[in-house]
Amino acid sequence: MTPERWKQVSRIFNKAISLDGEERTAFVADECGVDQSLRSEVEKLIAAHSNASAEKFIGGMAAEAAAPLLLNDDDLEPSPKVLTEGQQVGTYYEILQALGAGGMGEVYLARDSRLGRTVALKVLTPEISRDERRMQRFRQEAKVASSLNQPNILTVFEFGEVDGLTFLATEFVDGETLRDHLRPKPLKLGEIIDIGIQVLAALDAAHEAHIVHRDMKPENVMIRHRDHVVKVLDFGLAKVAEKSPSKAEASEAATAFKTAPGTIVGTIKYLSPEQARGDEVDERTDIWSTGVMMYEMVAGAVPFSGATSSHTIVQILEKDPVPLSKLGNAPPELERIVEKAMVKNPEERYQTAKDMLIDLRSLKKRMDVEVEIQRTASHTTSIAANRTEEFDPRKKRVLLVALIGMAIVTAAIFGINMWRASRARSIASVAPPTASAPVSERTLTYWITVQKFRDKKPFQEPFTIPREMIFEEDYQIRLSFSSPQAGHLYILNEGPVATSAPEFNVVFPSSTANKGSSLIAAGQVMQIPEASWLKFDAQQGTEKLWLIFSEDVVPELESLKEFANPQTQGLITDPVRNKLVQDFLKADSETKASVEKGERITTLKSPGKLLVHAIKLEHH
Amino acid sequence: MTRVPNPQNITQLLAEWREGKQSALDELYPLVYDELHRLARRYMSRERKGHTLQTTALINEAYVRLVGQKNVVWANRSHFFAISAQIMRRILIDHARRHAYAKRGGGAQQVSLDEAATVTPDQSGELIRLDEALKSLAEMDPRRSQVVELRYFGGLNNEEIAGVLNVSENTVTRDWNMARAWLYQQLTGSGAN
Repeated sequence: MTPERWKQVSRIFNKAISLDGEERTAFVADECGVDQSLRSEVEKLIAAHSNASAEKFIGGMAAEAAAPLLLNDDDLEPSPKVLTEGQQVGTYYEILQALGAGGMGEVYLARDSRLGRTVALKVLTPEISRDERRMQRFRQEAKVASSLNQPNILTVFEFGEVDGLTFLATEFVDGETLRDHLRPKPLKLGEIIDIGIQVLAALDAAHEAHIVHRDMKPENVMIRHRDHVVKVLDFGLAKVAEKSPSKAEASEAATAFKTAPGTIVGTIKYLSPEQARGDEVDERTDIWSTGVMMYEMVAGAVPFSGATSSHTIVQILEKDPVPLSKLGNAPPELERIVEKAMVKNPEERYQTAKDMLIDLRSLKKRMDVEVEIQRTASHTTSIAANRTEEFDPRKKRVLLVALIGMAIVTAAIFGINMWRASRARSIASVAPPTASAPVSERTLTYWITVQKFRDKKPFQEPFTIPREMIFEEDYQIRLSFSSPQAGHLYILNEGPVATSAPEFNVVFPSSTANKGSSLIAAGQVMQIPEASWLKFDAQQGTEKLWLIFSEDVVPELESLKEFANPQTQGLITDPVRNKLVQDFLKADSETKASVEKGERITTLKSPGKLLVHAIKLEHH
Repeated sequence: MTRVPNPQNITQLLAEWREGKQSALDELYPLVYDELHRLARRYMSRERKGHTLQTTALINEAYVRLVGQKNVVWANRSHFFAISAQIMRRILIDHARRHAYAKRGGGAQQVSLDEAATVTPDQSGELIRLDEALKSLAEMDPRRSQVVELRYFGGLNNEEIAGVLNVSENTVTRDWNMARAWLYQQLTGSGAN
C-alpha cells in the first residue's frame, strides 16, 4: 500500500467506524465511489476492527501474555513444587517467604526452630532429586562444602530429605548478587579490589580443601547489604547441576555447554578455555572465571561475548580480550593481575588463588597509601597545579618543577605550616624491608604516581607504577623515594633541550621541602612534590631526573638550594656552578647503580657511599 | 568502550534524547534493556503463579532505580516510558525467538518438560509475527506503530500515549483502532495484502 493510499484508507476507516449500519455503508460507498479496490480494503479493515474488538486482540499487555517466556532462561527454571508461607519442612523448618529461583530449585527464607535462626532453604527440583546418581554426588559435595569454614563462603548447615523434598539449608545472606550489584552503576576501583580479594579468599580456602567451584560467575557471588561482605555460593554444586549423567566426568562440562547453543548465554561467558574444550579442570579454572568477573567489574562488560554460545566459546579459546587500560580506569597493576588470571594456558596462569590474592592485597595496600597521601596533600594540590602554568610562561623547561614555587605560594596564602605538613610519612607497607644494608652499599627505592588528564581535568584515579612509562603531555606525576638507610638526597632535573651546555633545575631539597634539608631518615618516604604535581610542558623528549643519594653531605650540591626559588623554578643560572654539577654527575655516574624493577617499586643499589642514577621520563 | 553511566548521566541522556540527539538513545538503550530485563524476570520469579506482570509498575521501578530517587524528573518520565516500551518489545521478542529456537530442537536439551508446559506452543510464534507486522506498519505509518508499541508493550494508557507523542487523545484512539484492525488482518490472513 502506498502512503497516499494508506492515508486515504485510514481517513475513511476512522470516520466509518464511528457510524453505524446503513449510515456506515452509505458513507463508505460514497467516499470510495467507483474505486472498488479501495472500498474492498476499507470494508475488510472494518471487519477486522469488529473481530479484533470482539476477540480483545492485543487487548491486554504483551508482557502479561508473554510473561512465561521471561522465565525461559536457564537460571529460572520453574519448579512445580511451590512451598507456601507458614508451611513446615521436616520438623525444624518453617517457610517464611520465597526468595527466588536458582538453577537447582526454589530458594526460601525459613526459620530453623532449633536455634531460632533464619536460614535459606534451597529446595531442589524433582528433576535433580529424582536422579539417584546425581543425588549421590550432591550429598557428597554438600558434605564437603559444609566442612568449609571461611567467612566469604556461604555456610552450608544441612542437607536433608524429607517428605519427598530434597533441600539444602544454608546461611541466609541479606544482600544482592554481584550481578545485580553491577547493573545500576559502575563500581569504584577500591570496591572491585575488595570484592576480588574476598572472592579469592573464599577460593583459597576451598582449594585448600580440594574443592573446585567450577561455576564462578556474578550470580554466585552475594554481597551482604549490611557490611558489604562477599559470600561465594554453591561450592561444589556446579558438577551436580550439570546434565549429562552418562558421560565421563572429564567431558561433562563440554557436553553440557556445547550441545545447547543459545540457551545458556550468561553462563558460558565465565567458562575457562579448558572447560570450553571439555578438558579436565582443576583449581585454575576458578582463577580464570574470577579474572573474567574482575574484568567485567572494571570494564563494565565481559571480555568474551559472541552472538551465540559457539561464537563466545571461540572467543574464549582464541581471542585476546581488549586490554583493560583501553576500557576502564584500571591501574596497570590491576590490569596485569587480571590478565595473568586470564591466560589461556592454565600452566601460565596464576597457579593458586593465594598467589592472585597476595597480588591483589598488595595493590590494595598501595592504593590505600596513595589515598592517604592524596588526602593529606589534596588541600594544596589544586591551587599549586593551577599556578604551575603561570610560572612557566616561556615553556623553556620541559619538566616544570612545581614544588619549589608552589610550596612557598600556598604556604603564604594559607598560612599553612609547611614543615609540619611535610614531615616524614613513614609507610611500613611500602617502604622496603629495613634489613640492615651493608655500609658499603647505598640503597634507594622509588616509585612514580601518575595522574592522567583529559580535557584539562584529572582523568581516572592516580595510579602508581614502579618504573618509567611513556607519559603523555598532560600527565602529572609525583615521585616517592625511600631508603632503609639515612642519607642526603639531592634531585636535579635535566631537560631534553640540546643546547651547548645542559641546564639543570634543583628539585630537592628546597627551602620548603623537607625543611630545606637534604637529610632523610631511614625509612622516611619523601614525596616530590609534597603538595603538588610535576607537570610536563609541550616540548617532547626525555627528561632526566638525577638522583644523588649519599651517606655524607655533598658540598657541590648542598649549596644549590639557593637557586630553588619560584622565579627561576630552581634553574641553576650560574654557569660556573652549572659546570660543577655537570662534572660531578659525569664523574660519579660512571659507577653504575644496579636497577631492580619490582612490581611495586624500583630499587637502586650502588657500592660505596654514593649513589647516582638518572630516571628517564619520556613524554609525548 | 564506554562505561556504564551514572544516574546523572542517565538523566542527562534522557534530556538529550528529548532534545533530539539520537546518539543519546544508543547509550540509553542497553542500560534500560538490562534493568528492565532483570526486573521483569525478578517479578516473574516471584509472581509465577498468577503470571501478572504490571508493565507500568515495572518501568516505573526501572526508571527510579536507574536515575535514582532524588534525580527523578517527571518531565523525563514520559520519554523514559517511550524508550521502555520499545525495549520491553525487544526483550519479549528476544525471549520468544529463543523459545521458538529451542522448540525447533536447537536447544532441546535445555528445555525441561516443566518449562515447555508453561508456554503454549503458539505464543512465541504469535509474538514474533506481531513484531514483524508492526515493523511493516512502521514503514507506512510510524506513529500508529508507536501507539501500538506504547500501549501493548509499554502498558501506557491513551492519555499517557497522547502525552508522549504530543497529540490529542482522540488521535491516539483513532490511531489505535486503525493499527489494531490492520495488524489483526495481517496476523489472521484476512487482509487483501
